[in-house]
Amino acid sequence: MSTVTTPPPAVAAPRTRRLPARDSDRFVYVLALPVVAILVFLVLIPMLATARSSAGGAGFADNYRSLLSGASGHALLLSVGISLASVLFCGALGTFLAVLLTRFEFPGRRLLSVFAVLPMALPPLIGAVAFVLLYSETGIVPRTLHSLTGLSPASSSIGGVSGVILVHAFTMYPYFYLSVSAALAGQDASLEEAATNLGAGRLRVWRTVLLPMLTPALVSGALLTFMMSMASFTAPQLYNVQTLTMEIVSARTSGNEALAATQATALSLVSIVFLVAMRWYQGRRVHRSLSKGSAAVRRGLSSGAARVAAGIGSLLLTLVLMAPVLVIVLVSFSVDGAWTTQVLPPEYTAANYQRIFTDPKSLMPVSVSVQTSLMATLAAILVGAAAAWVVARWKLAGRWTLDVVIMLPWALPGTVIGVNLVTAFNEPTAANLGLTLVGTLWILPVAYFVRFVPLVFRSTGASLEQLDPTLEEAARSLGAGPVRVLRTVTFPLVLRGVMAGALLAFVDGVGEYVASVVIYPPGTVPMSVEIYNRIYASEFGTAAAFGSLQIVLILFVLFASRRLEDGPRRRPRRRRTPAVKAS
Amino acid sequence: MTKLRKTVLLMASVLTLGAATAGCGISTSDKSSLTIYTARDKQLAQGVVDAFEKANPDYKGKVRLLTLGAQEALERVTAEKGRPQADIWWGGTRQQFVQAANAGLVSEAPAEVTNSIPAKYRDPQGRWVGEMLLDEVIFYNDKMLKPEQAPKDWDDLIKPEFKNKIIIRDVAASGTMRSIYSAMIARKSKGGDPAAGYDWLRKLDANTKVYAANPTDLYLRIQRQEAPLTVWNLQDAMLQKKKSNAPFSVVSPASGVPQLVDGVAKVAKGPNSKGADAFLKFLLGKDEQKKLAEEWFQIPTVQGASEPSWLAPMKLQEMPVDWDLAASKETDWISHWSAAIKNKG
Repeated sequence: MSTVTTPPPAVAAPRTRRLPARDSDRFVYVLALPVVAILVFLVLIPMLATARSSAGGAGFADNYRSLLSGASGHALLLSVGISLASVLFCGALGTFLAVLLTRFEFPGRRLLSVFAVLPMALPPLIGAVAFVLLYSETGIVPRTLHSLTGLSPASSSIGGVSGVILVHAFTMYPYFYLSVSAALAGQDASLEEAATNLGAGRLRVWRTVLLPMLTPALVSGALLTFMMSMASFTAPQLYNVQTLTMEIVSARTSGNEALAATQATALSLVSIVFLVAMRWYQGRRVHRSLSKGSAAVRRGLSSGAARVAAGIGSLLLTLVLMAPVLVIVLVSFSVDGAWTTQVLPPEYTAANYQRIFTDPKSLMPVSVSVQTSLMATLAAILVGAAAAWVVARWKLAGRWTLDVVIMLPWALPGTVIGVNLVTAFNEPTAANLGLTLVGTLWILPVAYFVRFVPLVFRSTGASLEQLDPTLEEAARSLGAGPVRVLRTVTFPLVLRGVMAGALLAFVDGVGEYVASVVIYPPGTVPMSVEIYNRIYASEFGTAAAFGSLQIVLILFVLFASRRLEDGPRRRPRRRRTPAVKAS
Repeated sequence: MTKLRKTVLLMASVLTLGAATAGCGISTSDKSSLTIYTARDKQLAQGVVDAFEKANPDYKGKVRLLTLGAQEALERVTAEKGRPQADIWWGGTRQQFVQAANAGLVSEAPAEVTNSIPAKYRDPQGRWVGEMLLDEVIFYNDKMLKPEQAPKDWDDLIKPEFKNKIIIRDVAASGTMRSIYSAMIARKSKGGDPAAGYDWLRKLDANTKVYAANPTDLYLRIQRQEAPLTVWNLQDAMLQKKKSNAPFSVVSPASGVPQLVDGVAKVAKGPNSKGADAFLKFLLGKDEQKKLAEEWFQIPTVQGASEPSWLAPMKLQEMPVDWDLAASKETDWISHWSAAIKNKG
């Protein structure tokens, strides 16, 4: 049973667990070995390079002292403030959408549920420009308001810090949306029923049962959003907000590598402190469910008026979420330079697409990005899910260490990761076991793996947190070996979490730019780099056309993964068959 | 567990598909190929490479071109120091090349190339050479300002009438803007005291409506008439006019224009030293430079090159700038600007 209101029983509460489980307990540590080895090799050693180089330049003490005062200190505070605000807004938006889409049935639900994740597919750079084209002083929204109401565009435009938070909120809420959806879908309806039977009202059930049970998912979303906001650069740059990432770039541009490394280290330290704090918060309670019942069924809306309102509401919401994507598609069909003072582009053309499809070489980047991200995602599933399981079942001291190591790359700006990987795998040394990846195609999947394995890890971890280990014990006591238990009990029960993370990892891999540009080998240009090249060649329309292709590709992946999740259509939603039967 | 099986099946099939197509495009580096990191326009660079391959049939199909930003090129070359992957780094500011030369990342160009470039546009030892000059100019959207309304000189930019009429490419993250702002401080500072220069930039900041994130963002904002004026390099302004019909008009400031050097270098210990030499000789040859000057609005550095035909009518003059002073103080000045001047006006 889930214990929502009881204070923390230590994770390894002395139950009957001790009896049959000795060798399976050991399996955690056996599995931990390769996982830790891979992470130390690919993540820890390369990333420590940054901390090491922060001692150079003006010296360790001077470098770090600069963070306590002046511009860097201010930038650090600003970054933390923006990140906290982003967590708040993303959390509200993502959770609201997840609850709406998993708990209620209304017209337009299926459509909205596919498009809900699409903002993830926004290509970097053009994605951010799309927000400027929408909400800046010369953007579509202020110009529309101006022509309708006469309101001056300057007063309805969004810029500065609120602009950054706006971009973050609309591009990062899927981290909450996906993990909360996975948690809601895996939730045991019997808990809710029990609470209702005991006389709790709707609100009280939400407050005391449902929301607390979502804690792991919310923590996972908060962590990903916070760290990503800390490391975000494009949005602060577009809205001209002096965050720590901006300071890092200007330190690099001025050639002060040591100061840049110091700032990057400080950035990841803040993120790690946040990570530890969140883990502590989550660890105060146990959020498990025995998952014997079936998940709650979606509630239909009864009155016709409510259905219409919900339908219109979801259409509007879809439109707002889709707006940046639509702007990119719009630009991809418009003539470069023609859109000046009008609300919408005045001239349209298909030439941008013709340019792509008539050049046989121009589709190569699509194939490169898809293949490398796919490889990285598969590796991330294996290592990330295994690591999540190891962390969840680890009973000795130091389980947080593994958590911190695996999340480290998420807290670092992409350029830093790219440079670190090149430094680590350029020439054969003892630290990289003689492996040279630079200049080969393998460096791209490795970089995407390192950058995006935290997504699978977090999302799987959140699902595992809700799963009671007694299910595994039951299977073991019935004679299943540790591998079989993992395969037939644990993995199927957390599959939703794994898939949610894998989806994010793949999508982010396809869009990855900052690390890619430092590492991509000759002849294999990833799509994001190609988009960037087109932007810089001021072929903005063609860049947008490429961006639209990327969006279509990701939309296709989203549809495919939904089909996988839903299985054959219209089967009654059965969820979580009892584990004992499975073994 | 049919779903699980389905998932595995799908993944396996996608993976096979991936593996089937994986072979194409992987080019393993061998001694005879030539790798170029370039921050130049992709079409421009590809055109030069095509011409190079035509002139040197040995290299046909063996030149590998990577386009990326100048700062990213520097970062790549730095990270790859132990086992360099590139032979040529083409496109970057003086500051970036000096930094690379001091770190031993670039090596001497053939004497023939070095000698063809005047000493003030290159490293004394030829570890990098200036390939072209970038005139930093004022330009404006001529649909928003008439020529007589436009500023005539740099000091006009800080007049009250241009309040909120200027967009600037964000300074700290741009090598070009750092150099321009340093030049402005150096121009105003007598005897190395930057106070007068800071004061001038404070007034410019007060007139600046917004700082653009990157050059594309800058062009977009000006074309979309957020504000009419900016300060940026002449080549990009001309290319924008030519390629996307941008309504940009260039001002020829009375006190002259700061001239930045944009260079090219041979990467130290690159895989194909001979190929790098051949490419440098070709690129800095008179014919190729003339072509780039006429078609791509480059201002060549090579000795004896004639002034490009499009440049003469503009009557631009070089602004005298103490580049040594500007280079040595740039980091201090720009840090001060970021912390104490930007967005304060």
